[in-house]
Amino acid sequence: MIWLSWRQQRTETLIAAAILALLTVAFVPAGIHAADLYVQQHVARCVDRQTQACGFVVGNYVLNTGVLRGLLDSGWFNLIPGLIGVALATPILLDLENGVVRLAWTQSITRRHWIGTKLGFAVGTAVLAGAGFSALFTWYEIPFDRIFGRWDKFDFEWLAPVGYTLFALGLALAVGVLVRRSAAALVVAYGAYVAARLFVQYWLRQHLVAPLSATWGPRSAGPNLSSAWVISQVPSDKAGHPFSGGAQVFQACVRSNGDGFKGVSQACMARHGAGFTHAVYQPASRFWEFQGIEFALFAGVALLLISFAAWRVLRTD
Amino acid sequence: MTAALVTDGLGKRYGSQWALRDCTLEIPRGSVTALVGPNGAGKTTLLRMAVGLTRPSAGSVRVLGLDPHVDAAEALPRVGFLAQEHPLYGGFTIAEMLRVGRELNPGWDEEAARARIAELDLPLKKKVRSLSGGQRAQVALTLALAKRPELLLLDEPVASLDPLARREFMQTVVEAVADRELTVVLSSHILADLERVCDRLVILAVGRTQLAGSIEEIVASHRLLTGPRDEAEDVARLHDVVRESHAERQTTLVVRANGHVYDARWTVHELDLEEIVLAYLGQDAARRREAVLS
Repeated sequence: MIWLSWRQQRTETLIAAAILALLTVAFVPAGIHAADLYVQQHVARCVDRQTQACGFVVGNYVLNTGVLRGLLDSGWFNLIPGLIGVALATPILLDLENGVVRLAWTQSITRRHWIGTKLGFAVGTAVLAGAGFSALFTWYEIPFDRIFGRWDKFDFEWLAPVGYTLFALGLALAVGVLVRRSAAALVVAYGAYVAARLFVQYWLRQHLVAPLSATWGPRSAGPNLSSAWVISQVPSDKAGHPFSGGAQVFQACVRSNGDGFKGVSQACMARHGAGFTHAVYQPASRFWEFQGIEFALFAGVALLLISFAAWRVLRTD
Repeated sequence: MTAALVTDGLGKRYGSQWALRDCTLEIPRGSVTALVGPNGAGKTTLLRMAVGLTRPSAGSVRVLGLDPHVDAAEALPRVGFLAQEHPLYGGFTIAEMLRVGRELNPGWDEEAARARIAELDLPLKKKVRSLSGGQRAQVALTLALAKRPELLLLDEPVASLDPLARREFMQTVVEAVADRELTVVLSSHILADLERVCDRLVILAVGRTQLAGSIEEIVASHRLLTGPRDEAEDVARLHDVVRESHAERQTTLVVRANGHVYDARWTVHELDLEEIVLAYLGQDAARRREAVLS
């Protein structure tokens, strides 16, 4: 049964391996280059420093590390764990669709054994592929994470990609046992994967743990947000409420000496209740907590979906 | 020794439709049984329940004394099954198909399987996808036989084959039966395919068993009677009437005789197996018409 599972899943496994190999070929040289450059250009001394000179150093560094990082920034690579997960479901779905399961289920092994081995193989491969994906980008991002904080590429690092791959696999299996048309099932499952990822990324994730907030005045530097995940940062009054009457206050507090603009009086701004900043954010220290939640969420739903698929297969007449 | 296949009030319902209903039969070991019936009579459903692919909605089925669902791990190695569409992994080579058989069956007979493939003149490296329908059926049968089952269930095995391939397929079955102790049940809606091979017959119609027994006994007991119309009822009191048709004064009956038929007013003809089966299936069609009308 192990040989059969491998033989039937060979194409999909090779596709996943090819995708990862392609990414490795592209990102490993770029990652080595980025790590070298980080040392050569003394970027480390500019971490957490907001001076103009450091802004120049960091900007220059990112520019010199090449286009791949920009490609990663675009977010398109988020589609890859889903592709791999969905692909790994296809051998099982095709077997069910074209009735060849009636061959496997009338050999000497039980159906439970069959589905157990098949799912074990698919899940194992999905975990390995997700881990490979994650390992590559977690490594590649080391210098960038130091500069921008680890939140920046949260869904490419550590546990999260493993959860995504499993989730896509579970979705494809669950939809597949329901609709019984593999091609349609894969399309629907992939659409659902993308929708779920967008929903979590842009809405759910920030609500998982109540974010911190801070309000600070013009004379204070405020909390260090350089490696935090800043959900919002807006001009506010002293109490942290969004400040709206900006234009009038600004006009009232402009200091001029008759022939030109000289600056804004911060004391005047404060008197009018302006000049404060309100930020809502998740601190860098919560990175692991969020990784854990994200993984548990996606892998947990995947487990439910895969169990459902197995249950349906066992009950198939 | 327990029978090879026993069903008792076996039924399967899909939604509100019964695919098979109230089927009670017993197939003795060592027999080769033809399961005959029109399309939709429940032949496939019966065989699938026997091998544990489908769960019964009513009644029970036992193969070699085992429940194919509860005792699947014990029953499966002893039962061979060949589905109607001869399922095989299309992208596999024949050698790989044999490996599937070897990996999934503890009783696998590699030598016999390879000998059979060689006999068929099929290269081991050939992909299953590129086989003809007849070759595909033969490879599927080779797999089912190399498992060395005690009971072999073949669902419409030759329906999709041309006459030559049918003949070759049936020849393989005959040889397998001659080789060793093997019980075979094969279904078909074409009796001609089965008559040479089988020694027992089960007729399934309207999802129920209509007739089951040895072919010899069935042929010996059925008669065609032609006689006066007003005395048909007297005959029905003595014998089971399978089918009747009336002309103005004359009646023709197909009966399953209980004992000898002798009556000077009735002419008695023997029937061959095909005529008998048609009489039962005709009765089925008539009943179905009635059901529609009522």
